[in-house]
Amino acid sequence: MIKLENINKTYFGAQPLHVLKGINLNVEEGELVSIMGASGSGKSTLLNIIGILDNYDDGDYYLAGKLVKNLSENQAAEFRNKLIGFIFQSFNLIPFKTALENVALPLFYQGVNRKKRNMMAMEYLERFGLKDWADHYPNELSGGQKQRVSIARALVTSPKLILADEPTGALDSKTSAEVMQILREVNATGITMVIVTHESGIANLTRKIVHLKDGLIESIQENDPDKMDFTKEIK
Amino acid sequence: MFNRDFWSEIFMALRRNKLRTILTGFAISWGIFMLIILLSAGNGLKNGVNSNFADRINNTYTIWSSSTELPYKGHKSGRYIMLNNKDIQMLESMYQVEEVSPVLSRGGSLVFGDKSRSVNLEGVKPIFKNIEGIKVLEGRFINENDMKNKMKVVVIDKSSNDELLRVTGEDSMIGKTVYINGLSFKVIGVSKGMAFGDMGQCFAPYSTLQAIFNVNDYYQLTFTTKGLDSKEDNENFKVVLKKKLAALHEFSPEDKRGVWIDSHMLESMETMRIFNTINIFIWVIGIAMLISGVVGVSNIMRITVKERTNEIGIRKALGAKPRSILLSIVMESLVITTIFGYIGMICGIGVTELVNSILEASGGLGDGNGMSVFVDPTVDVRIMVLATLVLIISGVVAGFAPAWNSVKVKPIEAMNYR
Repeated sequence: MIKLENINKTYFGAQPLHVLKGINLNVEEGELVSIMGASGSGKSTLLNIIGILDNYDDGDYYLAGKLVKNLSENQAAEFRNKLIGFIFQSFNLIPFKTALENVALPLFYQGVNRKKRNMMAMEYLERFGLKDWADHYPNELSGGQKQRVSIARALVTSPKLILADEPTGALDSKTSAEVMQILREVNATGITMVIVTHESGIANLTRKIVHLKDGLIESIQENDPDKMDFTKEIK
Repeated sequence: MFNRDFWSEIFMALRRNKLRTILTGFAISWGIFMLIILLSAGNGLKNGVNSNFADRINNTYTIWSSSTELPYKGHKSGRYIMLNNKDIQMLESMYQVEEVSPVLSRGGSLVFGDKSRSVNLEGVKPIFKNIEGIKVLEGRFINENDMKNKMKVVVIDKSSNDELLRVTGEDSMIGKTVYINGLSFKVIGVSKGMAFGDMGQCFAPYSTLQAIFNVNDYYQLTFTTKGLDSKEDNENFKVVLKKKLAALHEFSPEDKRGVWIDSHMLESMETMRIFNTINIFIWVIGIAMLISGVVGVSNIMRITVKERTNEIGIRKALGAKPRSILLSIVMESLVITTIFGYIGMICGIGVTELVNSILEASGGLGDGNGMSVFVDPTVDVRIMVLATLVLIISGVVAGFAPAWNSVKVKPIEAMNYR
């Protein structure tokens, strides 16, 4: 699903910052992978490159068998829209749109008509127990509800890949556990998932933990979350 | 692309920022509105002045008698030169002169019933109507038949007419017999007055008055010309004419006074020049206002796009293509400029039409004697539409630059923008 070959990324500012120093990583279809590392280790940058939200300087990145390099904005938009669903720490919901409209937005960019769009969005909201909140604006929702809306938004286009950047970062432990439960269930339906986190409790709920340090992969650890009692493990 | 969703997105964005939308829109409406008001005022002034001479034909001259300024051939300065029948003969012998209408002028009193009013009775030819651009409000002016048969008919001015009607309670003066200096005349028409103060002005056939008074002195001669088409022609003709008059009356051809020669064509050229200058001035101000409107729009669009950077980042992450973002921002500014430009245009037209209808109802803003100074203060609709189009196009251009910048930003940078 994801194949990274010697990915390099430098931020050119007043002080050039070499964030990724040659990343090689394979993620197979249906995998549940977490990327762990301290802040500044380059894990978010890596996730952004995988999500084509940012570009890389050197190396090759294949997504679903296609080389993602020097894409036009249109091609990148197409990839993001059809293949990838995003879940962000700060939810990134559009504040002046209702939960339903937020979830339906990716479908708008696919050209799905309004009726079908709203129907599909409602289906996903229902699945995450948010049917009664469909007409509420993000600022009327709790953190856990917001994150569930954004998960619904990520899933509504039936993407092959879900990228989650600190999905539980802004949530309390109980809600974090719920969200992780949802993400695992989503993964169980066969959707590849990459989660960036700095919490080992979250990482331990994934099947493969990629440890990142100073822009390089330190180790890749196989993990069996079913052996963990995750309610205890988180924090 | 331009379906209901697209438009609802745009109107949602505009509604979300009501104050900003309204302020921007106001700048545009105001720009268009003021441009229209300015242009209308300019046109009103121009039309007002033109309307006074609308019926006046251009290739005409008036010679006024005056006093000399320079001593000449034994004559002292300050001698009053009266125009006479020799001047008429001289004029008629010139090939440039088409038709001469002397103005035989006699003061007197106009009597109707027991009402009397002091008037200036002028004996003129039918062509005088065109030379002076006299507007006949009721009845008719003197015609060739009156001239030939030396009819005792008279055209009275509006203020005399109104005064007589008011006093006598009649409906119309046309066909009534009035007495001027004891002579009976039949009223054939009412003219828009050229009267000054309380003095009325009446026109009778030149031939009739000449037969009665046997006049050989005139304050004023008027005539039409032919073949004098350019400014140079007229200026040269004036010089030639002045020389001839100087020879006849023995005053210095260099004398700036002696007689006054007015070329209506040169006069109107001068008037037109003044109005063209005013017009240019108005356009410069108007365009400056439009530019400030456009700057306002582009400024607001820049701020809008900055404020929406996060949203744009999110949309891009969800798969929005650059075109859709570009289009939504550009359309947003287009919608603002179009709607508010249109409002400004409608308000401008409304106000000018209102002023116009008030002016028409009150008979024009004038000097009380029918002279208009402000008529039809409206602007050609084509010009208004053009101005609005210019604004709309500039709105698109104004929206495009910030939109383009927002499209170029990487989605992750846009999302993290604070």
